[in-house]
Amino acid sequence: MGTRKFIFKKIIEITIIFFVILTLLFFLFRLSPGSPISKMVDPGLTLEDQVLLIEQLGLDRPAFEQYIIYLKNFFTGNLGSSFHYGEAVSSIIMAKLPWTILLFSLSTILAAYAGIVLGKISAWNKGSALDNFLSISALICHTLFIPWFALLLLWVLGFKLGWFPLGGVLSPEIWITGSSIPLKILDVLHHMFLPLMTLFFIHLGSYLLLMRSSMLGVFKEDYIITARAKGLSEKVIRNKHAAKNAALPVLTSVGLSLAFSINGGALTEQVFTWPGIGRELIFAVSNNDYPLAQACFLLIAAVVLVANLIVDLLYAYMDPRITY
Amino acid sequence: MLTKAKNLNRNGRSLLIVFLHMFLVILMTGVFFSCQKKEEVKLLKIGLPEEPKSLNLWLGTDSNSRKILSLIYQSLYTRDPKTLEMIPWLAKEEPVFDKEKLTYTVKLRQAKWSDGSEFTSEDVLFTKKFFFDFKIPRYYSKWKIIKKLEAIDEHTIVFHLQAPSAIFLSRVLTAPMVSKKEWGQIAVEAMNAEKPLKFLQDHSIENPLGTGPFTLFEYKKGAYLHMKKNSHFFGTGKTIANHLLGPYVDSILFKIYGTSDVAILALKKGDIDMYWWDIQPGYLEDLKKDPNIEVFLNKKSALYYMGFNVRKPPFDDKALRQSIATIIDKDFILTRILQNYGTPMYSIVPSGNVFWHNPNVRRYGEGLTPEDHIKEAYKILKDAGYTWETEPVDDNGDIVEGKGLKLPSGKVMDKFVILTPPADYDPKRAFAGVMIQEWMRKIGMPVSARPMSFNSLLDTVKGKREFDAFILGYGKLNLDPDYLRPFFHSGYNKPRGWNMSGYTNPVYDKLANEQKGIVESKERKKVIWEMQQILMEDVPYIPLYNPHILEAVSTKNFKGWIEKVNGIGSIWSLCVVKPKN
Repeated sequence: MGTRKFIFKKIIEITIIFFVILTLLFFLFRLSPGSPISKMVDPGLTLEDQVLLIEQLGLDRPAFEQYIIYLKNFFTGNLGSSFHYGEAVSSIIMAKLPWTILLFSLSTILAAYAGIVLGKISAWNKGSALDNFLSISALICHTLFIPWFALLLLWVLGFKLGWFPLGGVLSPEIWITGSSIPLKILDVLHHMFLPLMTLFFIHLGSYLLLMRSSMLGVFKEDYIITARAKGLSEKVIRNKHAAKNAALPVLTSVGLSLAFSINGGALTEQVFTWPGIGRELIFAVSNNDYPLAQACFLLIAAVVLVANLIVDLLYAYMDPRITY
Repeated sequence: MLTKAKNLNRNGRSLLIVFLHMFLVILMTGVFFSCQKKEEVKLLKIGLPEEPKSLNLWLGTDSNSRKILSLIYQSLYTRDPKTLEMIPWLAKEEPVFDKEKLTYTVKLRQAKWSDGSEFTSEDVLFTKKFFFDFKIPRYYSKWKIIKKLEAIDEHTIVFHLQAPSAIFLSRVLTAPMVSKKEWGQIAVEAMNAEKPLKFLQDHSIENPLGTGPFTLFEYKKGAYLHMKKNSHFFGTGKTIANHLLGPYVDSILFKIYGTSDVAILALKKGDIDMYWWDIQPGYLEDLKKDPNIEVFLNKKSALYYMGFNVRKPPFDDKALRQSIATIIDKDFILTRILQNYGTPMYSIVPSGNVFWHNPNVRRYGEGLTPEDHIKEAYKILKDAGYTWETEPVDDNGDIVEGKGLKLPSGKVMDKFVILTPPADYDPKRAFAGVMIQEWMRKIGMPVSARPMSFNSLLDTVKGKREFDAFILGYGKLNLDPDYLRPFFHSGYNKPRGWNMSGYTNPVYDKLANEQKGIVESKERKKVIWEMQQILMEDVPYIPLYNPHILEAVSTKNFKGWIEKVNGIGSIWSLCVVKPKN
């Protein structure tokens, strides 16, 4: 099968899966208990008010009719408006998405790069004190409880030492005084440091361990022995022959991590008050804000599906033995 | 070993160097910012637990939106923070009631909107038309008692009522006034929309126009909300409710904190001057040790209660409900679960609401020892014809584990469930459920407490109405006790209705309808007290506790917070709080 044919087939598959997910999401939310107004526990809201609100939200119509309207709107690029914010879902997502992408993509890429380099070093020095140190540190990072670690960083670096701000994405005091753009950019970077470090350390562990075990597997391969027999230097064998092949599983993992970074580490976003998609998703689900929650899940589904396709294609690029 | 150390290749070293540089640059940025931050003395910084959902008055009904909007949109009358009496706010004086004509004449203050235009009778007329045209939830249902609204002159308005109304002042004239300038055009567009109310709610409000002490200056979503002093605020320099009103701060900066832990750190660090949220008692000891923090503890107008499904057996039996009310040890709940930060409740109207609260109702289990709770509860059941396989009190008067409780009909009591919110939503209610389960088991009741997600719980109790008993609460009850009507009047015993227990009592219904029309407070109080007495005799709800509200402020820069029922976080505090120097 040619690559083009493979891509075409994959796109068809992805489209079908996407619509199955869309349909499932739509009905799952409507089957879940409660309604968007059930949380308005306000005795001032009379029965007539509740009926009026339900009618205005379009929830008085049969579920199938709502589904048809939803599909029609979906194809015209209208994801509806949030029950709680009253704003178009697409504009809410567009406002939150860049923050999530910025933080999570950067942390994933940095952690993957550091994980590959350190994993390589660790495997190359298997059994040494350095290997032990790196492996144990990686295990600790991998098993860290995110909110605890995030709060610890905030407590020490933000509160006790006062080096970093206590959450948020910017210092309002600087922004309301009309500071220059470079200063504002530095301010955002300053705020991003602690959440970035939290996610970096959390991801670093798994990438390092993955790279290390993959490298150890590769060392036993015939082509490494051949490379040695050819008289190549250790550095070339390690970097060009072993590491390049061993990095494939890490690449898959990074691809999927990037995709899942859309829903963000909701906990990290919550602790650092990072205004990303993760916090929004949790809020939307717990408040039965159907349009917003559906759109967030659809976005995750779409990104995961596309990321899978890209990883498949990258495999073929990285490993010439794989063809489609 | 040396060779292995050399193996830290260039990649590894360069990675380390890059990270070190990054850390240093960002650290220096921090130091630079710390030097840069010139504290504006009259800038009050307040922490919020969540972002306001909307600045559209008709959609922003969550507590955080309300906090912001309450500083912008004002009503004709409000409550005195100390006496809780209704006092004129946008109105100039007390309304004049004409019994014969059923009219209230209200004189308006010389007030201005934040854009400098006059607030006049026209705006009140517009507000009324707006409520009626769009059937605005929460307001229309109360305003529909108005038959006609008449503007005598620019600052005098007459409300003609359909019938006498007890809640006219406290629930109708406390509605926010809106300006034609802000909403007129939107209203015209909304009326032509397929769903007018939805159109109205979805309309984005960038610059709300109000008459309050502050106006919105800038809202950066996800980051902060900046409000500035309204130079046209009608209260500035006036003494209202014995407070000389400011505002004395130039602006307020609202910052969002995702967790209470971080907000408390920010308060201690001085990043914020106040955290506008109810703090959990667990933080108190730590906060009290800080010399720059002041903690405020105030009563809440709240009700946390256990409700029964009185529509079906066995809870249709009053004696069973009374027995359960007796077995509950409210002092235990107060000391162990609320850690003494609250008050036990014996009536549906909270005790902090001094005027309407009836202290003379039947106070189940008050002052009893743990053993006496069981003995008393046992006695009530036994007198009502309940029997046991093993009675919980033996012939010697000693308490043993009761087993096999049988209803007066001789039928063994079926297993039943107390639904509670989950511990992560509200640990107090969840733990109270578990304790009540244990006490009820001692008397032989086959009960289990089951935590359920809040949405499901409301759906089960209010929508499907398929339940035995539940524990719920209202964190902020209106100070007017008219809620006693929707909570227990048989007319509200419908799916999604507020009478969740399904309580039906014609005598109570009559009183509930009657109180609605009594304008004279003292007369109405008699009826409200009688209603509380009936409720505590029939116990469709067992009032459990009313937690205190705990709030904390930094004392470094500001002083003068006003304490009131429901805490210091209010327009009153923000109108009088002053910089220290």
